[in-house]
Amino acid sequence: MSNLFDHKGAVGKGYSQPQPLLAAHMITLPESLTRKNHARWPRLSEPEMVRHYTWLSKRNFGIDTGFYPLGSCTMKHNPRINEVIAQLPGIADVHPHQPEHHLQGLLSIFHEMQEMLEICSGMDQVTLQPVAGAQGEFTAVRCIQEYFRSRGETQRTKVIVPDSAHGTNPASAVMAGFEIVEIPSREDGRIDLDAIRAVVDNETAVMMITNPNTLGLFEPEIAQAAEIVHAAGGQMYYDGANFNAILGITSPGLMGFDAVHYNLHKTFSQPHGGGGPGSGPIGVKSHLAEFLPGPIVKKRPIKAGEEAHAIDDLWFGWYQPERSIGKVQQWHGNAGAVVRSWAFYRRFGKELRTMSQHAVLNANYLRHAIFREAKKAGVDDMFCDGAPTTVAKHEFTLSLQPAKEKYGISAMDVAKGLLDKGYMAPTVYFPLVVPECMMIEPTETESKEVLDEFAKNFVEVLQIDAETLRAAPITTPVRRVDEVYAARNLCLRHSFEEDEQ
Amino acid sequence: MTGARPVWHAPHRGEVITMVDQLPNLGREQEMLEEMGLSHIDELFNDIPLEVRMQGELPLRGPQSEEEIIADANRLLGSNVALGERVSFLGAGLYRNYIPAAVFAMISRGEFLTSYTPYQPEVSQGMLQAMWEFQTLLSELLGLPIANVSLYDGSSASAEALTCSVRVHNSKATQKNVVYVSQLTPPDKISVMRNYCQGAGIILMPLKHNLDGTIDLESAKEAAGSCGVYVEQPNPLGLLDGGITQLKEIIGDNTALIVGVQPVSLGIVEAPGIYGADIVVGEGQPLGSPITGGGPLYGIFACAKPYLRLMPGRIVGRSIDVDGQVAYCLTLSTREQHIRRHRATSNICTNETLIALMGAMHMALLGPEGLNQLAVRNMTACLLAKQKLSEIQTITIPHQFGHHFNEFVIELPGKARDCLNYLDSNGIIGGFDLNAWYPNQMNWLLITVTDQTKAEEIELLAAHLALWTSKAVMS
Repeated sequence: MSNLFDHKGAVGKGYSQPQPLLAAHMITLPESLTRKNHARWPRLSEPEMVRHYTWLSKRNFGIDTGFYPLGSCTMKHNPRINEVIAQLPGIADVHPHQPEHHLQGLLSIFHEMQEMLEICSGMDQVTLQPVAGAQGEFTAVRCIQEYFRSRGETQRTKVIVPDSAHGTNPASAVMAGFEIVEIPSREDGRIDLDAIRAVVDNETAVMMITNPNTLGLFEPEIAQAAEIVHAAGGQMYYDGANFNAILGITSPGLMGFDAVHYNLHKTFSQPHGGGGPGSGPIGVKSHLAEFLPGPIVKKRPIKAGEEAHAIDDLWFGWYQPERSIGKVQQWHGNAGAVVRSWAFYRRFGKELRTMSQHAVLNANYLRHAIFREAKKAGVDDMFCDGAPTTVAKHEFTLSLQPAKEKYGISAMDVAKGLLDKGYMAPTVYFPLVVPECMMIEPTETESKEVLDEFAKNFVEVLQIDAETLRAAPITTPVRRVDEVYAARNLCLRHSFEEDEQ
Repeated sequence: MTGARPVWHAPHRGEVITMVDQLPNLGREQEMLEEMGLSHIDELFNDIPLEVRMQGELPLRGPQSEEEIIADANRLLGSNVALGERVSFLGAGLYRNYIPAAVFAMISRGEFLTSYTPYQPEVSQGMLQAMWEFQTLLSELLGLPIANVSLYDGSSASAEALTCSVRVHNSKATQKNVVYVSQLTPPDKISVMRNYCQGAGIILMPLKHNLDGTIDLESAKEAAGSCGVYVEQPNPLGLLDGGITQLKEIIGDNTALIVGVQPVSLGIVEAPGIYGADIVVGEGQPLGSPITGGGPLYGIFACAKPYLRLMPGRIVGRSIDVDGQVAYCLTLSTREQHIRRHRATSNICTNETLIALMGAMHMALLGPEGLNQLAVRNMTACLLAKQKLSEIQTITIPHQFGHHFNEFVIELPGKARDCLNYLDSNGIIGGFDLNAWYPNQMNWLLITVTDQTKAEEIELLAAHLALWTSKAVMS
């Protein structure tokens, strides 16, 4: 079976259900409210369903399948203990509206995660509510917006983003009602202090930036950038997408940031699940804390009568910040992702620093190995660093522009060639400032052997002639997919009419 | 800079043991560094100015082994009261359900669990096809031609529906930048809507309800000419409102009818697309997802064709590969932030694909008859509970003659909060105190009943309510 809707059994019984508590005819809905036609859902038995999704899974590539060096996405191994813990009834089967004394264990985990994220980032208060990085960005700039409104600085309507920023930065700021001022990066891929000086004024609300930047390079002048923005009365926002590089080494707080979001699905191993769920907590300095969305967990010593429910003689309670912007998710955020990430944090504790060191070690080693293998094979003229540097952080960029010019081989061709070698392709064509860009992030969970092997295969792909490479991939479930056809001949659902023809 | 220091100092032996399962190169740093011509790992961080370096180690606890972590997880999470341990009537937007074992088994496959957004379609056909099938399942269920592959949750989906309605209708609207939202909508959801809407200058106006909980169709005429109208079916009081099926006619073609649904109800209740809904949103959770303390969940978003190019979220299209065989890929990406940046229709990037996949798997197992049966179980359980509680003299049911799905309101002779405390001390999670939503209602308790509720649990609730309310009347 190639399509779920090919299953047309006479009765749908993927699992049998108990009888209803009353007979169905007791329901007396008026005609206008009664459904007339069943949804044309397929009818599968359990074995058919299991085979369908097993077959689909085999047509999908995950970290479990192989090396996944997707830059900017931190595709590290997802420890399975996290999944076991997330299925415990104490998280899977609890309701956010249960009273505090039902949820002391969960609240203590929330509190521990708030504190840990505060320590790692040098921020004063964390909220776990935003459910994705982009929502974290949105929440933080909303808090900053309310902060300025509370000070009567309503003219601060502009958000500065470098041209190398993640697309979510400008999109989130616009959703909050800001205007975007994009500034060019320097030739070497770093922020240009003069470009910041040229645009900051009393209308500047925030500068949004990630460090290491999207080229995987640390911005050495970040503290000066923060000074310039602060001197103009603006705030500094840290996009935590690249946080995996710096835990225990530096922090947004030390760099001069006022607000930050974390991607628990990147740094703290919540599985990406084909695109989600994630979790995007934010942390802020104290002057912004009263604007955060609630609830936030606070702890206090127990009072008489609370012993039975308390954890370690502490009481954990929900707290609503006084001038909160309100909510960005109806409940308390993606609690299940927070719990998984807590299990990941517990594995490392203060050795999160070692984790980050290894993420950076692996990225630099892979960069070294790729250049080494390329030199050996005599193809080191086909690519260069996306930006000049001696060291990278957790990821690095290569430009395939030379290959394009000399041989007509694009970054996309190389990416598709790597698929044939059994790898997920690196991120391509981002950041936009690097021509024919390939962005490679190995993470700390890959062994030296995997990195060496990938470097060899990468170079082998470069040695394939352009025509053959343009036909890649050939070993994948389908070959190069026509995205233009998809957009011009929109087919966004199964057509039963087509079936009947 | 640190030349005097010895080479790379490995963590203590005990710590190595706990982390080595996640860091395969632990203990091999020197070998790798030497190959790069370096002698110390700090040299990889020379580009970080000293003034922004962290001093000393992180003031955090030491690492733990997997066995220690699970022990702590069991202790902490085990101290929570799970709904399944008690008799529970708490819902108010999230509903206890049963998820077939095959869903968990299939979702645990690493090819799904550990994949990223399918930007490389050639090696992501499994997830792409599963999401295309999800779009079809929802499209059929909701009666609309287009569905995306999920937003974060029901609240962000409803908020994005409002901003989408303004993008589509504002040019022709007589009430520019205005949307109407049912006054019964839970304040936490309205708060999310306000946050999403304020940046675009969108004004939320209340859509009035009658005393019996139904939409005030007379005042709904005021909403004609605005950009959109948001209502829920069943509404937050659990009522199925026939008036909602007439709403599209009242507000007209230039105003979007946005309906929030509990998807399981649609096994019995008419699909909103059939009675004119332009956008349907909702909390997908009852199909496929545990409650999980309120997240991750998945937000449903489906719409009619005029909204397609201005809608938020990821969409999968069916295409062909170079050999002409059927292949799937993400499409209409030019609406999205990674292409359109500040002109994107939404900032959403990470969504809830895996939870949506659980939803698709649950739907696939149910089939049309199974969904109908599930809806019947939910609705008859609710009917039975309403019957039993209506027999208690000291309780009134304000909307007794309405049709309820999952939940209904009871009015107590005392504060709902006190009643919940009493029930809690008797091992019953009694429902939701509606004072949290409606400040004037101190005595309203929202009782939620799902397919997981047993007849004897309803009896138990009734017995305790009879006892508490009779005492409350006396005092």
